[in-house]
Amino acid sequence: MTERIEKLCELTLSGKMFVNPIKTKFDVNDSSLSKIDMETKRLCEYILNQEPMLTPYSSMTGMFNFDGSVVGDAFQRSGHAGTAEALKKYYLNKIENLSTMEWQHATADYERVLDIGISGIINEIDKSLKCHSLPEEIEFLTGIKMVACTLIQWAEKCSKAALELSKKVYDDNYKQNLLKLSSALLNVPKNPPSSFYEAVLCIYVCFSANPDSVGTLDRYLSPFYFKDIKNGVLTHDEAKEYLQELYLMLQATTHIDSPHFTRGGQSHFCIGGYLSNGENAFNELSELIVEALIDLPTYIPQITLRWTKSTPRSVLRFMMDSERRDPHKRIAFTNDEKRIKCYTEICKIPYERAVKYTTVGCNEPAFLGAIAGSNSKGNLLRSIETLFHKHGDEICNFDGFDELYNFYEKILFLDLQKILDYDDQYNLLRAKDINYISSLFMCDCVENAKSVTQGGGNTAIASPMLIGIVNVIDSLTVVKELVYDKKLFSMSDLVSALKSNWVGYDDLRTLILKKCSFFGNDADVSNEVGNRLYNSFYNYLYGKRNIFGYQWLIGDLAGYNEHYKWFGEDTKATPDGRYDGDLMKFGLGQNEGKDKEGLTALLNSVCKLDKTGIGCGSTVTNISIDKKMVEDNEQFEKLVDVFETYFKNGGVHFQLTYVSKEDLINAQKCPNDYKRIRVRVSGFSDYFVNLNDHIQNDIIKRTDYKN
Amino acid sequence: MKATIFDIQRNSFVDGPGIRTTVFFKGCNLKCAWCHNPESQNTKSELMVYSNKCIQCGKCTEKCPYNLKNCDLCGKCALFCLQEARMICGKNYTVDEVVSEVLKDKAYYEGSGGGVTLSGGECMLQIDFATELLKECKKNNIHTAIDTAGNVPFEYFMRVLPYTDLFLYDIKCFDKSLHKKYTGVSNELILGNLKRLLSLKSNIWIRIPIIPSVNDNAGELLKIKDFIYKNGEVEKIELLPYHKIGEHKYEALGMELHSFDLLSKERLLELQNIFNI
Ligand code: SF4
Ligand code: SF4
Repeated sequence: MTERIEKLCELTLSGKMFVNPIKTKFDVNDSSLSKIDMETKRLCEYILNQEPMLTPYSSMTGMFNFDGSVVGDAFQRSGHAGTAEALKKYYLNKIENLSTMEWQHATADYERVLDIGISGIINEIDKSLKCHSLPEEIEFLTGIKMVACTLIQWAEKCSKAALELSKKVYDDNYKQNLLKLSSALLNVPKNPPSSFYEAVLCIYVCFSANPDSVGTLDRYLSPFYFKDIKNGVLTHDEAKEYLQELYLMLQATTHIDSPHFTRGGQSHFCIGGYLSNGENAFNELSELIVEALIDLPTYIPQITLRWTKSTPRSVLRFMMDSERRDPHKRIAFTNDEKRIKCYTEICKIPYERAVKYTTVGCNEPAFLGAIAGSNSKGNLLRSIETLFHKHGDEICNFDGFDELYNFYEKILFLDLQKILDYDDQYNLLRAKDINYISSLFMCDCVENAKSVTQGGGNTAIASPMLIGIVNVIDSLTVVKELVYDKKLFSMSDLVSALKSNWVGYDDLRTLILKKCSFFGNDADVSNEVGNRLYNSFYNYLYGKRNIFGYQWLIGDLAGYNEHYKWFGEDTKATPDGRYDGDLMKFGLGQNEGKDKEGLTALLNSVCKLDKTGIGCGSTVTNISIDKKMVEDNEQFEKLVDVFETYFKNGGVHFQLTYVSKEDLINAQKCPNDYKRIRVRVSGFSDYFVNLNDHIQNDIIKRTDYKN
Repeated sequence: MKATIFDIQRNSFVDGPGIRTTVFFKGCNLKCAWCHNPESQNTKSELMVYSNKCIQCGKCTEKCPYNLKNCDLCGKCALFCLQEARMICGKNYTVDEVVSEVLKDKAYYEGSGGGVTLSGGECMLQIDFATELLKECKKNNIHTAIDTAGNVPFEYFMRVLPYTDLFLYDIKCFDKSLHKKYTGVSNELILGNLKRLLSLKSNIWIRIPIIPSVNDNAGELLKIKDFIYKNGEVEKIELLPYHKIGEHKYEALGMELHSFDLLSKERLLELQNIFNI
């Protein structure tokens, strides 16, 4: 790390690079304006009133934050009244113990702004103005055009500030950086960048419009990188420094007092994967993007490798090796083969767009220039609760598992429909808002003359995250294997046990926990049950679309909040051995140590689950591995082989935590001595001691695979 | 045909090349003082009782048809003990049953150059079964390895040879009397078999458990080294430092435990230098 980056790092990690919003006095003679006109006018006033964050060490600037006084970006949602109403009603609030509202991630279309600059986007707006005639469309387009022009003026303001500062800086290198910055800001983001440096700066300035993911960084920066390298005007080390400065800005976007400051889930982006010509995007720059990050002692951003069949083992190895060297656990892995197939075949997204997906936040998929189309979490286990606690008498008369499953499927579909309906309801409330600044950088919003919050983008998928999928598979497996196949006890025994919350049925519960071939053991019975469940999802969801026309998929991750605890609290005892109120499972990883056959068995179970691909939504597989295994180089090589095979077999995702169970147990007892242990939770990573007891216990219970 | 097997461990990273499934056969004709799989020694299934895990809940007594006496290994007590304090060790498998378990990770063997390893105990004591199993694995194009202490008639090696890609051959001590003292048998047959196996140019990895105060000295190891190089070539030599992970099993089986000191990392490195590894 260079001295300059070190200085910026210090400032960032002490919270000093956070750009405080400047309160703006609006020109109040705007009451006669229409809503859209007034909102865009104020937004522009607000932006131009902000102060650029500049230090003597800066070679980039242009970030700003919103304070709620104007309609800000679509990700942070400040100033969005409809969203505020929805959040108040539905966020952190479980509806019918079945659904709750969640955040929506998004990524701007950086490719387009690098290609044509904001002035090019303005031209597109002008073209679109000629194609639309409805007053609200015209107002929307006129409004975003004004915002676009304002962003160009904002860059000019930043340019002046850099010039002013350069006069006060005596170190020649630092002075030159500021002068270079000042002149570059007169070109970007207005025009297409002329160099790699300007390209990174362009993203830096535009990031405030959608401060979430930077999308598919390696592919859209590659042309600039290779051109400059070839022409001898850029060195590898310079490129690395620019990337690091960009990353530091991503970290600085989160306020130091926020619990998210140390969580890696913010600003998650992808490298590698298929290009539209079928080639692999991973290149020298992708590698540099990772190296630049690993050097920084920050928490944000997080990078996911998109693996394809043509990804050389050496690339997977490089990424896994970077991952094991990274104390902050910022690297994850996903499989293009399965995802691209799903996005093209199930979601009918054109291949050229499908290859531009990225994983954002805690692993939600979104496409470059698009939003994650769903914003809900659902309690899948409620369907099992209904089956046993409401229909207990009926199911005792069933002949076999097929009859039971068909009956269950009807309950499942009713719950699924409700989950989708709630999701639509949340989106409808959001659609009351018109977003002006993020929409500018989203695909199709300009062409469709429609805000991203109102479904202005054509390319998105809607994937509610279903909590408790593994509990459902395990519960049904208990019934199939132990009640019907092996006849170890009767259905009425099981129903009575559940109704009495296992009181007086300790033996039955023990028998279940010991004898059932639960999910994750690669046993035929649980694999088949899981497969059947995913086929049900597929049959129900295929061709179904949300209010904006986005195909529904399912996901299984938990996100930042403890839905698996809240939903669990109100979910009665279930056949997988859960008591009333116990936590539920999220993700498709380890399952409270119920997977006893080792890593390959777990991975096989995960792969066999979803033949259809319907589960390529917001999906996560967390694996904890004994740290000794990765410390030994020979064993580490085998681990690389294991995960390469897992992807070849159709696994969608994985991310690793390397710890020893003993360390975690000790960390619970003496948190001060174990402050540095970082673990994966759902899609993000955080210090173990920062997590609450429930999540800590859950992580300890996951089997840690060792030899 | 059935064999008594006490574990089929998938996802093994340590029993040969790549990712492997290791099949642990029950029964051994050595009694190494440091054995970390003492449950492998007895050919028959047995009940293991971990008193340290027991919370005296009484469930086992309640479930046992014989009041915990004259055990017929019915397994009821183990099934209902929530603490996992009671466990039946050893189960009979057919060749097909083992093969179907082994096949589950075939993709992982292919991806890593791994396969199946027959271990134990001494897997070659159940030679008919072992041969059949290896034959079936080869039919399925699976890499096969045998982990053996070598104390069986050479004819057994000849039987498995056509179906075995690799031998993990254990040498405990070179000195005869030392070997006899710590394993209960002399090593003449073992070394003789190794010599013949080497002359057949089989693929062999030599594995030497390093036990402090027994064979952790240059003298012993140099003799082993000389012996190997005099008689042929091996692919690899692995030194396996003594560990105490299996100690708790001795009490569970009612067997007498011999404890040794642990080997320091530095000492292990020094000894590895002898073999240039
Ligand atoms: S059932 Fe288990 S815990 Fe209970 S007394 Fe027996 S051995 Fe001990
Ligand atoms: S295995 Fe059966 S017979 Fe033996 S102690 Fe347990 S319950 Fe009694």
